[in-house]
Amino acid sequence: MSLQVLRIAALFYAGAVAAYVVYFARPRHVRLVAVGQWLLAIAFLIQGAAIGLGCREYGGAEFFGLRGGLVVMTWLGAGASLVVQRLYRIPSIGAFITPLVLVVLLPTLFLVKPDFPEVIPDEIRRPMLTIHIVTALLGVSVFAIAAGVAVMYLLQEREVKGKRFGALFSRLPSLAALDQLNQRMVRFGFVVYTLALLTGSGMAKVVWKSAWQWDPQQVSSLLIWILYLAMVQLRHTGWHGRRFAFLTIAAFGLVVGSMVTLNVLPEGMTRHGGDFRGELK
Amino acid sequence: MSRGRELHLVGLSHKSAPVAVRERVALGGDVLKDALAELSARPGVGEAMVVSTCNRVECYVYGDSSDEARRFFLDRAREAGGHLYEHTGREAVRHLFRVAASLDSMVVGEPQILGQVKEAYGIAASAQSAGTYVSRLCNRAFATAKRVRNETEIARGSGSVSQVAVELVEKIFGNLKDRAVLLVGAGKMGALSAKALRDLGADRILVTNRSPEKARALADEIQGSAEPWDSLHSLLALADVVIVSTGAASYVLTQELVTHVMKARRGRSICLIDLAVPRNVDPACGQQDNVYAYDIDDLQKVVLQTHAARADEAIRAEGIVEAEVMAFAQERETRAALPVLAELRRRAEQIARVEADRTLSHLGAKLDDKGRKSVEAMAQAIVNKLLHGPTARLKEAAASGDSDLPGAAAELFGVETEESPIPPEPRR
Repeated sequence: MSLQVLRIAALFYAGAVAAYVVYFARPRHVRLVAVGQWLLAIAFLIQGAAIGLGCREYGGAEFFGLRGGLVVMTWLGAGASLVVQRLYRIPSIGAFITPLVLVVLLPTLFLVKPDFPEVIPDEIRRPMLTIHIVTALLGVSVFAIAAGVAVMYLLQEREVKGKRFGALFSRLPSLAALDQLNQRMVRFGFVVYTLALLTGSGMAKVVWKSAWQWDPQQVSSLLIWILYLAMVQLRHTGWHGRRFAFLTIAAFGLVVGSMVTLNVLPEGMTRHGGDFRGELK
Repeated sequence: MSRGRELHLVGLSHKSAPVAVRERVALGGDVLKDALAELSARPGVGEAMVVSTCNRVECYVYGDSSDEARRFFLDRAREAGGHLYEHTGREAVRHLFRVAASLDSMVVGEPQILGQVKEAYGIAASAQSAGTYVSRLCNRAFATAKRVRNETEIARGSGSVSQVAVELVEKIFGNLKDRAVLLVGAGKMGALSAKALRDLGADRILVTNRSPEKARALADEIQGSAEPWDSLHSLLALADVVIVSTGAASYVLTQELVTHVMKARRGRSICLIDLAVPRNVDPACGQQDNVYAYDIDDLQKVVLQTHAARADEAIRAEGIVEAEVMAFAQERETRAALPVLAELRRRAEQIARVEADRTLSHLGAKLDDKGRKSVEAMAQAIVNKLLHGPTARLKEAAASGDSDLPGAAAELFGVETEESPIPPEPRR
């Protein structure tokens, strides 16, 4: 049931992608922006319903698997991009972010083999876990938006510096706007991610009886956190524009890399979301 | 019918007359309003409108001849006579549509002209010299301009060097609020660009020059502040947009200087626009991070591209204008035919009613309600069948632009129409 609803949401996402991309190609059709925003909002609501239904069906256990994680992450990403579009009125952003949401969502529509435990022990069923999962996924999706904005920045910088003044030049927003948005996304993502890290070690204490375990998941998360901390700090020492954009993309590459590696590691080792099967008897 | 009345245009523009002549006939505001009121009161003039901008003065008269429109110019300046152009009927309509769509402008595609034509119409309307014809004409002209703007890319790109500079600065800094512009040297183009940036909301304009007097004079002219030449380095650290146009024979902004400045700016972006020939900014400066450097050739290239692209788009725009001119003519003719039709039908129905009543009063009580209704229906049916052919034919003729048939019909049946200059004798 939840899968059917999710597929309907995906159709609306596809519609939003089409509207934004056509707007980007033909900026004369200004109304497409509103169409895209509406479709995106509807898709967001439907996906929210799908997630709610999924919680009923699996009791929340699905979020321990990669698939459930991707579903929630795309949902939060779509929500965040709706907020960003409301706040900044940079319609061309839709053409860069929404396709990303759709692409990440697609595999979850077809890879439906359960990759999560059947029951979640009551010991770890606490609000802190929910906060941990939501903040971690929101943090990652905000970092993704930052990376998307950084790509836009680099494209526009190439136009401006290379004196091309072509189609991209007129369609993309100003460098200052993109740079500022990138910085704000990194800052906001960093705050959210910090929260995820804190609640994560809180959960580790519950599961493993100690907050730090030299667990691969913990180590990579801490490295990512330090990298983003450095970026937030570098901003004050003259890291602007191009260099910052490259750094944003590289950092997000690391996030994706660590997520993928940790999830394809053989069974028994720590997986994304923390393994509790071996520990809790 | 109104075959005697047509749109007449007499005018002069940047294409036909030098500014010395144009400025002698140009007029605006209340003066124009009075002139229009006077013009439209003259015999043979139905409606009138005057478009007066710095590039053109054009007098549109809807009336019997172009004489009064020509006099409008000759009364103001005798020497205008040799520079006037004239168009009548469809040609005049086309001309107005082309003007409004900015196809006749000095810089094709520039956006101001439509507003100026709208203003001209507003003045004519307030002087009560614009009636139904001119208002329909103008509405169609505005719609045409809008279509050209939306359906072609004629207004895209930048038509002048300072416009290109402004567009570049916008793409780098977005909002110019709280940004400072530094003008190095006293070139005319630099001052123009600085003014354009100020209009965009640039917060401060700093002016510096080797000669302090020149700096002060220019600063006064563009409401900036004059700064000493010695503090160039700190000025560069402060300003976000630097427009350089000095007469120096070598680089004023060297790579070394800019590297220093960027350190002082902590990497904040800077845009260097070099309008001087020989160049004043080392082109290698642009290779540094967050330094955007352009010279006059870069900007001029964009202007040329824009002009070429606009020339291509202008061809498509002409097609739209042509279609709209046709549509306007057709609409007018259809409208001319409709009153004839309505009047024809009204009369026929009136006759049918009178005749039916007469018949019914003769028959009196011999008929029941049903019978009465049948008689009335028969009368109506005869009218409908009789008029069906002529109605279809008239509508067809009007739609295909044939204005003779509606006129002939009006004459044949003796009906008046709205636009007839002389009402025909009522015949029975």
